[in-house]
Amino acid sequence: MSAALNESALTQSETGDAGDEAAGPIRTAAYAGGLWRSWRGLVYQLVGIAAVLFGLIIWLANTGLSATELTTLAPAALWGYTVEHLQLTLVAAVIVLVVAIPLGVALTRKRLRFLSAPVLIVANIGQAAPAIGLVVLLAFWLGFGFWAAIVSLVLYAILPVLRNTMVGLQQVDQRLVEAGRGMGMSAAAVLFKVELPLAVPVMLSGIRTALVLLVGTAALATFINGGGLGILITTGVNLKLTSVLITGSVLVALLALFIDWFGRVVEHLARPKGL
Amino acid sequence: MSESSKAASSPSTSANGITGASILLDKVTKRYPGQATPAVDGLTMEIPAGKMVMFVGPSGCGKTTTLKMINRLIEPTEGKIILNGDDVTAMDGDKLRRKMGYVIQAGGLFPHMTVATNIAIVPKMLGWDKARIAARVDELLELVSLDPGVYRDRFPKELSGGQQQRVGVARALAADPPVLLMDEPFGAVDPITRLRLQDELINIQAELQKTIVCVTHDFDEAVKLGDWIAVFNEGAQLVQYDTPERILADPADDFVENFIGSGAGLKQLTLTRVSEVGLAEAIVAHPGDSASSVMSRVNAAGHGHAVIVDERSRPISWLSRRQLSRLDVIGSTTDPKLPVVGNRATLNDALDTMLVSSAGAALVTGRRDVFEGVIDVKTVMDAITAAHEAAALESDDAPVGLNTGTMQRVSQPAADGGAAAGTEVDAGTEVDAGNEATVMAAATHEQAAE
Amino acid sequence: MLDFLVGRFNQILFSGWQHFSLVVQCLILATILAVIIAALVYRSKALISAANSVSAVGLTIPSFALIGLLIAPFGFGVLPAVIVVAFFATLPILRNAVVGLSGINPATVEAARGIGMSRFRTLMQVELPMAWPVILAGVRVSAQMVMGVAAVAAYALGPGLGGFIFSGLSRLGGANSLESVVTGVVGVIILALILDLLLIGLGRLTIPRGIRV
Ligand SMILES: Nc1ncnc2c1ncn2[C@@H]1O[C@H](COP(=O)(O)OP(=O)(O)O)[C@@H](O)[C@H]1O
Ligand SMILES: [Mg+2]
Repeated sequence: MSAALNESALTQSETGDAGDEAAGPIRTAAYAGGLWRSWRGLVYQLVGIAAVLFGLIIWLANTGLSATELTTLAPAALWGYTVEHLQLTLVAAVIVLVVAIPLGVALTRKRLRFLSAPVLIVANIGQAAPAIGLVVLLAFWLGFGFWAAIVSLVLYAILPVLRNTMVGLQQVDQRLVEAGRGMGMSAAAVLFKVELPLAVPVMLSGIRTALVLLVGTAALATFINGGGLGILITTGVNLKLTSVLITGSVLVALLALFIDWFGRVVEHLARPKGL
Repeated sequence: MSESSKAASSPSTSANGITGASILLDKVTKRYPGQATPAVDGLTMEIPAGKMVMFVGPSGCGKTTTLKMINRLIEPTEGKIILNGDDVTAMDGDKLRRKMGYVIQAGGLFPHMTVATNIAIVPKMLGWDKARIAARVDELLELVSLDPGVYRDRFPKELSGGQQQRVGVARALAADPPVLLMDEPFGAVDPITRLRLQDELINIQAELQKTIVCVTHDFDEAVKLGDWIAVFNEGAQLVQYDTPERILADPADDFVENFIGSGAGLKQLTLTRVSEVGLAEAIVAHPGDSASSVMSRVNAAGHGHAVIVDERSRPISWLSRRQLSRLDVIGSTTDPKLPVVGNRATLNDALDTMLVSSAGAALVTGRRDVFEGVIDVKTVMDAITAAHEAAALESDDAPVGLNTGTMQRVSQPAADGGAAAGTEVDAGTEVDAGNEATVMAAATHEQAAE
Repeated sequence: MLDFLVGRFNQILFSGWQHFSLVVQCLILATILAVIIAALVYRSKALISAANSVSAVGLTIPSFALIGLLIAPFGFGVLPAVIVVAFFATLPILRNAVVGLSGINPATVEAARGIGMSRFRTLMQVELPMAWPVILAGVRVSAQMVMGVAAVAAYALGPGLGGFIFSGLSRLGGANSLESVVTGVVGVIILALILDLLLIGLGRLTIPRGIRV
């Protein structure tokens, strides 16, 4: 369960109606400033992550660790958990993208537009389900393990990508779509050359939100033997190993911040010039 | 403007240099789903090749709908679109639209593409090679008065509104389409820029002679730009379809009269250039001539003034008899307040100059500021009278425009001219046929648009 | 399922109430905190961007990680649960409060000052009421989010419906384990919907008609 708030929440709040899915364009407030200013923020974020990581290592080195703690926190083991965590996150993310983006595109086409409101309502209600509950419920159905965890992660992270794909496409100026059609571009050409490029910033911000949600939710996979860094937290709690508990918590948080950073960098680079 | 309006009135020139295609809307109807009355009702309308046709009318009367049915952005519910004699109602819409430039308000430029990329879209779709596209982009930017070196790689947001609109026109012209459709193209720019863009469009059209259909809600713009003006009322009822001159001189009904607004006479003055009217002669003298001999020529001709020109025949002063009588020899001083108008100026400009000149007239100059003659209020009045008379006779080549839906014939005055009788008969048969078609089509299934 | 619900009706109701009351109390606390912080920062660009960074970073931290961190110093119980829920509740409200307050047309504020209202009075009588719809929207976002956070907080043995999920998990396959988890999940969804409706109602009552969208 990640507490990451997706960007669209802010826009919805600005329009004063969180239920209105057709709310205006979603823009990350952090990008209001100039190019340098936003890059500077990214540098700070990375430096901050590195500093906390460094602090954690120093602290661990200077705390008398018991033998159990030393084995649990062995660098190879930590690296293994991190890789598992990233696998959970990225596999789920790829599936989310493959499902949510085409679905978002389809739901904004004229023929299927009537379905978009009901789909979003269902997705929103689903989002109110606690992530931990979703993870455990799916384990009842699919059994324990990696793939059960993946399914619940995917379910949990679809909404931000779906919603931002739809909002991103809806906020494209219809006159531009018409200008494209008026020049003889086919509907597909307009979609790929005009609508999607113009929706990219909003879509990317939804994808970043989803990634951060995924990192947080992947920490719960340990409850159903799905792997990942969450095991450090549960081990720390179960065996009362404070250093393991803290290491696990800090690493999950740092991983989330790092993925967020990575997402912001991609947003910067992939943003179409001229916008 | 004068080139195009002359071309409009003399069919003999229309074969030269025209790159446009003729368009015929044949009993075209558009019904939007869920609306009781059609947005466009049985409209038959001919748009001559190489002419600029302006659609005017109140908001919501169906101008945009009609325009978009030409490139089938909106599919007609009934009726046919004929382009250069070919029925294009069933052809692939995307292919059709590549043959028609489309300009919308504020240019409709794609913000994520550079100016060059925007312009290159259609040529790319048509499979032109890179070098040809690049050359075309530069050529078009020159055409719309933008320096390619400066503007080629800019993004739309780095352009002013007027520049964006220019690029929008360039983009529409990219693949040299025979037809250009414009929907309130200058609606989003400030009035001064708008005037400049209008002038540029006139120049571009004089050069290219495309068939241009342009929607506007500004009647003055329609008068300024149009070879023909189509005045629409609710439901795309074509109330009058005629030259600006004739619409001003002879509005079909109260609706058109109201639409023209006040000052129809003054608006008419903007339609005629000084070069198109007969100028009065003047006594011309040069610096160094003896004042008394000039005076006697003035007296002999019964004039009140003499025009003094320099060695290149450019007017430098305009002397009254009283001034002449006080001189021995004509001086070479230049009068800075000399009332001069170029022969390309409109009668409106000329009248403006006359009214502030003490002589109640103005000097007309031609190329290189050479003196050509004098224009006075009487000349202007004669020109207006002549224009009225000409307007009454000028209907023989008027394009057809009528609504079969209600059988309302436009351009009624056409019945006056004997030459127009044929048109009238034709229109009559059209009406009958249209009626039948409407009845038949009423039973056919209604297509969902687009 | 029905047996489970009937048999533990009182327990479910009690946990549900506890869950709800934890969330609502934390939301009230969070709103007050967020508005105070926003009122302190909204006049300075640098402070605004600092506040925005704090909420952005805070919202990136997974709630489960924060719970783990808080168990270390505070042990198990209500305290870490309250801290986590209040922390995450504050962030979206803070972000919206800053947006709401800094987005007010300066001319309006000037007009208030011009008729002799003090800074504080302007804030209370002009700026906060105008920013209130935006703040309240932030509260709604917070509410939905912390309903779920409170469920995870049950891992630290906090109060609420999360307990049903964890107890179902720990007895996995045992009698009534699935029923227990379903109760927890559905209960949280229902509470989230109820709270959202209540907040919409609160908006109807408290947003001045002149600025209602
Ligand atoms: N896409 C549409 N769907 C339904 N009705 C439309 C649509 N577009 C235009 N209309 C209706 O058709 C009429 C003509 O509209 P339009 O052609 O846009 O007028 P104009 O361009 O002259 O202002 C109006 O009554 C308008 O409400
Ligand atoms: Mg229109």
